[in-house]
Amino acid sequence: MFLTRWLRRLAPLLVCLVLLVTACSTAPDKYEQVQKDTTGFGKPAAVAKQAEKGGTFNQFFPKGEGDYELIPSQEKKGFAQYKLNQDGTTLAMLSINDTLSLPAAAAKYDNATDKIAGYPSVKQGTTTLALLVNGRYQVKVLSRDQSFTEADRSAWLEKFDLAGLAELEGVPAPQAKKAPRLPKTAPQRNLVPQPAA
Amino acid sequence: MSKKIYELVDDLPKKGLTVMALNSLDKFVPGQWDNLVGFDNTIKTVTGETDPTMVQAIGERAITLFNDKKEGYQRALWLYQTVDSASGMLGTAALANRIGQDSFLGFLQNISPKPEKAQTIDLSIKLVTEVVAFCHINGIPGDSLGDFLKSLGAYGSESLMRMAALVTFDGVIPLGADFSSKVLTSIKGMGASDLEKNPTFKGVKKEIPGDDSESKLAFITESFESTRGWMDKFVADKGITQSSAVDGLSGFIEGSKSKLDYLGAFLDISVKYYEHTGIQTLSRRLIERAVAEL
Repeated sequence: MFLTRWLRRLAPLLVCLVLLVTACSTAPDKYEQVQKDTTGFGKPAAVAKQAEKGGTFNQFFPKGEGDYELIPSQEKKGFAQYKLNQDGTTLAMLSINDTLSLPAAAAKYDNATDKIAGYPSVKQGTTTLALLVNGRYQVKVLSRDQSFTEADRSAWLEKFDLAGLAELEGVPAPQAKKAPRLPKTAPQRNLVPQPAA
Repeated sequence: MSKKIYELVDDLPKKGLTVMALNSLDKFVPGQWDNLVGFDNTIKTVTGETDPTMVQAIGERAITLFNDKKEGYQRALWLYQTVDSASGMLGTAALANRIGQDSFLGFLQNISPKPEKAQTIDLSIKLVTEVVAFCHINGIPGDSLGDFLKSLGAYGSESLMRMAALVTFDGVIPLGADFSSKVLTSIKGMGASDLEKNPTFKGVKKEIPGDDSESKLAFITESFESTRGWMDKFVADKGITQSSAVDGLSGFIEGSKSKLDYLGAFLDISVKYYEHTGIQTLSRRLIERAVAEL
């Protein structure tokens, strides 16, 4: 009798404990699926084999003007990115990428109603304005400072050599170049402290 | 099973010796570094996006990029982690050597490198590691060497903090404010065999450009020579001295003022600033690329 009475009292507590423990151990790992899909044998490459080499895109980026400075930031296969700085502050990131590696990136323009310089354009989130050239090359301006407004993003998108980029497709693909090689000689480094990007 | 980048960023410590040591440098590079931890938090802070669907999409692309070995991010991570743990071993060796000088364990001196020489190699290899990891993460951006250097020069936030820590913890504290000339004289007088004995070098040597230890030593010397001007200017501009650097640390490492070579070795063992800020740099760059590619 005594035992049953205690058990009756303890039961709700035990149930709560079990529920709590189960909830902890089965907390959904929101990145688990993508982690599984992109590791192990037979996983797809992150970048398409036929993607344009990142260095090809450099020529189409705007040039610095006045106190606006463009600083090369990343260059990988199918991707190139520059920082747009003013007085050492990063205002925006400018990028071109080949959507061959990520068809969904191109698909989002299918229903685009806006155009910039004649190319379909979309707003993405609250900080990004993008357009698509030849259904393949995506050009983006991403604000990194509150002072850099949507009008600024649009104006800087138009400063890209979009016509030049549009001619890229159709030209025989340049010989596939190997991944960037490390310099054989040590670079002259001139680090300049800057505010956080 | 490869490491999960989102877990590495989620697991970055919010406090502890590494974070305290890095925070002590805030007086030299004010406001440059806030200890950004947590994968989703990093996405939100870097991109300014808060929409959960967008954050998830950015996270998924960043993870995909990291998990593709060909993209170089895993190598950069390995470099940041290895140079820290290898130099920790060096710290242990340096401590053994210091004990050797102070006590009857004099024989230890015969098997341990002199702390200054070990520290010299350590500093120069960490510097080279930075250049190599930069290339794995960012490629070689731009069309010309000038572009590449401009890109290297635009260091900010955690990358600049890493360099400030390198100069302060591995340069000024153990070797003095004129450390760069000491290091240069020392590495110029070194042979490939000195390098081969060094645990930090052993840890990362396969990633240092050069066919053999001799050409790797040449690359290290050249890298040091070319960055020396920046380091000297940094020390002078920020007014970094042994005492000002140690003052910041003495709050949490007692008795550090009188035993500077012990302190250097202690920092080597217990402070993992390369790995900590390296993971932050890596995730920032991955996220910047992911959001731009979506």
